[in-house]
Amino acid sequence: MSRWHKFLIMIALGLAAGLVYGWVISPVEYTNTTPDTLRADYRRDYVLMAAEVFHADQNLDQAARRLGMLGSEHPARIAAQALIYAQQDNFPESDLALLQGLATALQTWQPVLRSTYSAGGGSP
Amino acid sequence: MSAEREPRRGGWYLLTGLLIGLTLGLLIAWVISPVQYVDTAPASLRADFKDQYRSMIASAYLATGELGRAQSRLTLLGDADPRQALTLQAQYALSVGDPSGSAYALARLADALLQPLVEGQIPDEIGASPTATTAATGTKTDTSSVTRAPTRRPTGTLTPAATPTPRPTWTPTPTLGAAFVLVAQENVCDVNLSEGLLQVEIQDAAGQPIPGAEVIVTWEGGEEHFFTGLKPELGNGYADFVMKPEVGYSLRLAAGGRPVSNLIAPNCRTSGGDSYYGGVRLLFQQP
Repeated sequence: MSRWHKFLIMIALGLAAGLVYGWVISPVEYTNTTPDTLRADYRRDYVLMAAEVFHADQNLDQAARRLGMLGSEHPARIAAQALIYAQQDNFPESDLALLQGLATALQTWQPVLRSTYSAGGGSP
Repeated sequence: MSAEREPRRGGWYLLTGLLIGLTLGLLIAWVISPVQYVDTAPASLRADFKDQYRSMIASAYLATGELGRAQSRLTLLGDADPRQALTLQAQYALSVGDPSGSAYALARLADALLQPLVEGQIPDEIGASPTATTAATGTKTDTSSVTRAPTRRPTGTLTPAATPTPRPTWTPTPTLGAAFVLVAQENVCDVNLSEGLLQVEIQDAAGQPIPGAEVIVTWEGGEEHFFTGLKPELGNGYADFVMKPEVGYSLRLAAGGRPVSNLIAPNCRTSGGDSYYGGVRLLFQQP
């Protein structure tokens, strides 16, 4: 076996060792994750919580803001996905009804853009 | 000449190859293609997102009254002491003006955690121990087995209900019903207490402490809002406020009732004859 062959083999061994160390033994630690990385069932439960609160207070804007924590998708889509997964997982009818209510309400919801800049000054 | 060099090179080139490979491997594993966390648990969330998640749990509890489910959800956050975490968050929310309006819900849930679960309130299984394994593909997956959907767990002792359990209605104020009345007012001279301490206790008609009740104190040029139950070690219906000497205060409960006026820190004397400002204790109760 030539010197070059041995050299390349050592590189391959080093590469493998580096990957094992970096991916398995000491992977990059994510301790400050964001909600959009939550596993599907946790996201679904979060949406269910929002639906429970919405059922009680009927505050659609607040419900949409809460779902906004889960990502940049439209809240109606987030709620609809949660409903589909909840149906697949055989959630109780009461929970499905809550999710359905929120998903339906959000379909017509549009974000309200509020300008903090007041042209002309003064108050009305 | 070259034949003489050969033995001196020895195995250094092999070590060089190994180091190059190792460097490449770590570069790929840590920089180019690091482990991606795609299925994380709430316990790994950043602190501010955890706070939002905790507020959400408290709000949902306030909406549904399902303590078992709230407890299960709180365990997902991995707090060493969920009740303390709720209390601290409520206190912090109040200290910054409670912009999210979550302080009351957090205080109510913290108080509810003191109570033992009654029959039928069984913690739901939403997730299990969030242990994670790393796949060889470089994708880290939280494999804590979610045993089932967050639904009630049937047991042999519970009879499945044919109809859904009715949910309690939304209660935006601590108590609905008769307004509170002042049943006791006394000056307190105790050197162990802060000078000018205004202590408020609020109870329901049965004499049980009411947490999360809003108390409003006003004085010339100022107003302060605070809530009961944020110092649970002193009672869930307890709240306090430090009065300045020689300033007259007026106090009322947001839930209703007549205001109490002319509250002034009394002059007290120690056994040695030294003067200091004492406090005032008020007890409110629903008739």
